[in-house]
Amino acid sequence: MKRGKLLIAAAALAGLLSGCSQKDSEDVVLRISNWEEYIDLGGWGDDEAIDLDDDLVIFGENSLVEDFENWYYETYGLIVKVEYSTFGTNEELYNQITIGDVYDLVCPSEYMIMKMMREDMLLPYSEEFKDDTIEENYYARGLSPFIRNTFEELNFEGESIAKYAAGYMWGTLGIVYNPEEITEEEASTWKLFLDEDHFKRMTVKDSVRDAYFAAAALCYYDEITSEEFLSSDDYLEKLTEVLNRTDSATVEKVEDILSAIRKNAYSFETDSGKADMVTGKVIANQQWSGDAVYTLDQAEEDDYELCYSCPEEGTNMWFDGWVMLKSGISQDARKRHAAEAFVNFVSKPENAVRNMYYIGYTSVISGGDDETIFLYADWNYSAEEDEEDVVDYEIGYFFSDDEEEWEDYVITCPESQTRRQLYAQYPPHSVMERSVVMACFPEEDNTRINRMWTNVRCFDILEFFGIK
Amino acid sequence: MKIKIFDRKMLALPYALFMVLFVVFPLLVILYYGFTDGSGHVSFDNLVNFFQSSKTVGTLLYSLFIAVIVTAVCLLIAYPVAYILAKGEYARKHAFLLVFVLPMWINFTLRITAMKEILNVLEGNLAYYPFFNTILCMVYDFLPFMIMPLFNSLTKLDNSLMEAGADLGANKWQTVFKVVIPLTIPGIVSGITMVFLPAMTNYVVLDMVYNSTYIMGSLIGSYFSSYDWNNGSLISAILLMFIGLFTIITDRLMSTDETGRR
Repeated sequence: MKRGKLLIAAAALAGLLSGCSQKDSEDVVLRISNWEEYIDLGGWGDDEAIDLDDDLVIFGENSLVEDFENWYYETYGLIVKVEYSTFGTNEELYNQITIGDVYDLVCPSEYMIMKMMREDMLLPYSEEFKDDTIEENYYARGLSPFIRNTFEELNFEGESIAKYAAGYMWGTLGIVYNPEEITEEEASTWKLFLDEDHFKRMTVKDSVRDAYFAAAALCYYDEITSEEFLSSDDYLEKLTEVLNRTDSATVEKVEDILSAIRKNAYSFETDSGKADMVTGKVIANQQWSGDAVYTLDQAEEDDYELCYSCPEEGTNMWFDGWVMLKSGISQDARKRHAAEAFVNFVSKPENAVRNMYYIGYTSVISGGDDETIFLYADWNYSAEEDEEDVVDYEIGYFFSDDEEEWEDYVITCPESQTRRQLYAQYPPHSVMERSVVMACFPEEDNTRINRMWTNVRCFDILEFFGIK
Repeated sequence: MKIKIFDRKMLALPYALFMVLFVVFPLLVILYYGFTDGSGHVSFDNLVNFFQSSKTVGTLLYSLFIAVIVTAVCLLIAYPVAYILAKGEYARKHAFLLVFVLPMWINFTLRITAMKEILNVLEGNLAYYPFFNTILCMVYDFLPFMIMPLFNSLTKLDNSLMEAGADLGANKWQTVFKVVIPLTIPGIVSGITMVFLPAMTNYVVLDMVYNSTYIMGSLIGSYFSSYDWNNGSLISAILLMFIGLFTIITDRLMSTDETGRR
């Protein structure tokens, strides 16, 4: 009797195991980690449908992840199961991976991608993925030429970022401000945060890289705003070099500037800045463009107008991109295929629109031959017919690398949009000409910069008692 | 003879296992990281650097200062409240206690957010008084943790002892200072332990009231987010030493107190 039971149990166990392995050979499990609230979760209300054209209505019914699983099965006849998780900061993601969490596809920011490249954690994308003649390669077919050029020129320690990363969202670093309290001119420079007229009424991001960028621009203000510098042929290259300086002399000067900013500003904020702008506690806030769009939208709901600006000295162009991890995918060709397919799926123009609508950031996708993305921008921002104060706003640089075609991509928008959401989502070309990608700090400089940041924030006992 | 396969001592096993896994082992990990450099060599550099920098020592003193004030204010408010609640002649004593302890059941970030809005109306600009706001919000946050142990030890205090004091000629205040307070020292000590150390490290409150100065908790967080496990762990170890020191001192105090009474 006893033996009988054992046999049954063993058989059941064997069945279970074989069931598992059978399932394994059919299904692909794709482990994705993305930023919190960084993908469309569906469940839109009926009134939210985006009606771009008679036969082009975009609507988020299910989450994009769910839609991807169905799409993958329909397209390739294979079942893929997505295990989707989220992270809050790049550092958190990196720590999770180094502690031993295994993911196949993750979406960190540019500097973290560079760090991961340096540590040989990433798999390059396949040649097939880059082939723009394949129908399903929405990424290769739809990537904005402007972003493509930026990626290809962006080398890190001898290798192009484009080899390992596929862009997702991008934007600038700037200042959200209240136009009733701060003029457009005041908000056009990072000096604003040192302006004592607005003592204790402005917040700066509690993030060493963002604060460092603004301070570095102030540190070399005279140099980078001189006529000679501005008119040089390789202006952007030179600007990139200046704003990426991390030598000890620069770090020391940055420390002084940040200490001064700290004394003048309301606070360094991690997440409260958006709400504090809307409630009017602060009148200016260093912000990423996507969060700026969110803040401006929120304020608008309260009939309150806020603006966004990218300072003249230079702005930090950032992007988040999908990278495939060696530790997760290793040699599994099917996993790699599923990961690349996921990137393509979220790059499909209508899905990019769903994401943009849901999270407020700007997709790197311009759509290629497909007009959806431009139609969406136009649908969002073009002026009503009876509106009086309208201007033509050109965003062609994002959609085409042929300057003659740029005139096809003009949005006739209310004049205020040139300082508001449209400006934040698609900055004018003049802003992009002074936008700098901030590379991953070299390892030893990184330690020094982190120490500098701690110094800025710590209570200095010697200074308090006037010894220093 | 039957071999005993179950011993009552085995009931302690799960607890012992828990202690080893979640208390002893993590402590050893902290000490390992705190006293090694990045490549695993034993080193006291972290410790030396900590005490050599005026900024980190400043942060330690700043945190201690905040913690001392918060604890003192909590004690000053909580003791009379607990005394009245425990010894007063109220019909609904426990209902009153509930009113004081109730906030503990509401998430503290929610309470601080509410407090922030009130202060914003009163002060106009919160950023002008970051230190005051920090103290105020921390006291508000930790007060129930001080009231509870005091209330418990005051309720247990035998009323006849106070009557005896009065019979022997002590006035009301003398009874309080010579009888009630000495007999409730255990309650005071556990109240202080509940408030003092969290007040040194609760940086969320600081962040929320826009105090951009680091305390020990934020310092640990900043090291960890820049992957500096060694310095972060060392600071945790330093805090641990404070807890140890504190426990030893209070133990001494309480035992001398008992022998003194005999």
